Amino acid sequence: MPSSVKPKRAPSIRGRLLVYLLLPLVVLMTASIWADHSTFVTPMYESFDRALSRAAVAIAAHVQQAPDGKLYVERLDNNSIPLRPPGDRPLPPPGDNPYQRRGPPMRFDPTTGPMVWMRLYPGARDSFLYRVSLPDGQTLAGDQGLPIAQGNAVDNLTYSDTTYKQLDLRIVSYQTTVGGEAIVVTVGETVHHRNVVVRRLDTVIGLSDGIQLLLVLGLCLFGITVALRPINRLRDQIMRRQPQSLQPLPLEPVPGEVRPLVESLNTLLVTVRDSTLAQQHFLTNAAHQLRTPLTGLKAQLEVLANETQDSSQQERITRLQGSVDRLAHTANQLLALARAEPSAHGPGDFVAIQLDTLIGAVIDSMLDRALIHNIDLGAEYVPAQVHGVYWLLHELLINLLDNAIRHTPDGGNITLRCGLHHGSPYLEVEDSGPGIPAAERERVRERFYRAAGSDGQSSGLGLAIVEEIVRSHRARFEILDAHEGNGARMRIEFPAHA
Amino acid sequence: MRILLVEDDPLVSDAIVRGLATAGYVVDAVVDAESVQGRLDTTHYDLAIVDLGLPGEDGFALVRRLRRDGSPLPLLIVTARDGLDDRVNALDLGADDYLVKPFALPELAARCRALIRRATAATANEMVVGRLRIDLAGRRAIDDTGRVLELTRREWSILECLAHHSGRVVSKERLIQAIVSWDEEISGNAIEVHVSRLRAKLGEAATVRGIRGLGYRLDDA
Repeated sequence: MPSSVKPKRAPSIRGRLLVYLLLPLVVLMTASIWADHSTFVTPMYESFDRALSRAAVAIAAHVQQAPDGKLYVERLDNNSIPLRPPGDRPLPPPGDNPYQRRGPPMRFDPTTGPMVWMRLYPGARDSFLYRVSLPDGQTLAGDQGLPIAQGNAVDNLTYSDTTYKQLDLRIVSYQTTVGGEAIVVTVGETVHHRNVVVRRLDTVIGLSDGIQLLLVLGLCLFGITVALRPINRLRDQIMRRQPQSLQPLPLEPVPGEVRPLVESLNTLLVTVRDSTLAQQHFLTNAAHQLRTPLTGLKAQLEVLANETQDSSQQERITRLQGSVDRLAHTANQLLALARAEPSAHGPGDFVAIQLDTLIGAVIDSMLDRALIHNIDLGAEYVPAQVHGVYWLLHELLINLLDNAIRHTPDGGNITLRCGLHHGSPYLEVEDSGPGIPAAERERVRERFYRAAGSDGQSSGLGLAIVEEIVRSHRARFEILDAHEGNGARMRIEFPAHA
Repeated sequence: MRILLVEDDPLVSDAIVRGLATAGYVVDAVVDAESVQGRLDTTHYDLAIVDLGLPGEDGFALVRRLRRDGSPLPLLIVTARDGLDDRVNALDLGADDYLVKPFALPELAARCRALIRRATAATANEMVVGRLRIDLAGRRAIDDTGRVLELTRREWSILECLAHHSGRVVSKERLIQAIVSWDEEISGNAIEVHVSRLRAKLGEAATVRGIRGLGYRLDDA
């Protein structure tokens, strides 16, 4: 059943626009962060490398040749204390982060290190190692284990990344000659500082790009909302309409993309309205053409019956009258059925109807028929109001009551009820007849169905008319057992607040 | 009592003329709205029966024209249409009652009787229900033997209200409104007591029928 299956959520234009904008935007932002990163990182590393190479060149400038031809590193200050290789001292534990310290790195001897440090590389905060060696690998000064950068030299400088004593190092080897002898000065520094600088810049770029993305998203959301406003207005307009309304939709605030849709909808509405009018017109004519001769026939037979004395002819006339009455009844029922179809009435026919007033009117018009059969026809009502077509509900109640009178034995009773049940207005017709077996309750609603043992007067359309009218009012029609006795109780329950 | 019938179908027209003749009415039949004025100018009618679907000027237009000209003639509409719009329209325009085709002749006669009774009440201040003559000006009811019924003020008010709507169900609420002034309170049970006393006094002359849960109806017998 369609009601039990939950409908799949319809995709919204807004959602689609957002998804299709958001995905490329995220890709774009990632690409832009990456591009920014690669744009700044190379020159920055180069400048770090240049500073490092200047240190190597400076150290090389301090390498002197002794008169005996031996090379040594000259003393650096007035105290003439030679530069001691820092490798003689133990390295700081790996957790010792030089950036968290204010002050010179612990790596160097307080008397020599900082001075070299300050002169070579003022402001440097990385751990710093050096080695002066001969091409054959013999170390003249500095850290003996420090690797020498391999690779193509540019301007006698070779750069490389390496790991030494569990430290990630950037090293530069400078090949030069002192007094005709070739030496290699290798300088290494840990990469903490450059990494931190890169990380900071990446963070800044990421943040700024992220903020940009959020701003763009916000603008997109705003733009989408504004752009979709006419469509939302159209949606609201359509939802506010009475479901039976055939009024064309206004074209004015509708954007060009949806205009053809609204126009074709309007064309459809006009077609439906035209066909509704045509059908109403047809029914009016059909009713007139059917009922006028029937009226004549019926009235003439009545006159004839009054004027005839012969009893055998009298009997024939009575039989004829029965047939004409049945024909008139069927014609009325068929017209009522056609009129009850949703296409036969417009939204303007739906008005507020007091069910108690309706019951009064129906009893008024059917009382004489009930009295002929000595049926006690009564009402029990609590004021209740529905939104409906008056003459259709009148027809509905007439049919239910007509049915009840047919099936209630002489001297029985029929009660019409209306009221509110949990906020839903209802109508009820209860009789003291034989009732309808549960197995037949569905079938009696079918057109032209006639229960076994029903009299020849029934057209079999009464409950089909009720069913049709109930449907056009979005109500529910139930056949139940009578509260008392074994009669039938026909119950129409209308939607709440209708 | 003379009735003007405006009906274009000869079979229907003929049957109505004969049928109402049996009920004691003289009926003149015309086939279109254009002939109505000539008849009205020369003859006094107590009621006109008008078919809505007339050729030429239709029933609506005729009703509208008669009422615009100030004619007090009671108008009963007979129609083959059953849409609510038609009924409301006809009643709004000034028709007094309507009947949907096909109808039974006794029903038509009953409607005619009620309309004429109502119109007479307005002019002659008198109504006849069954064997009861109700003198509206003198505020008394006389049965067919000439005996004046002794009614209390409230019983009279109930009878008057029911007589004005004879043949129709009158709700209890409406009867309460008819018999009490605004500062009085009266229960549904009290109405029942008054009605049962009225019934006893009316005897065989007319019947006050109780409709369970709804109200009462005054019938001829």
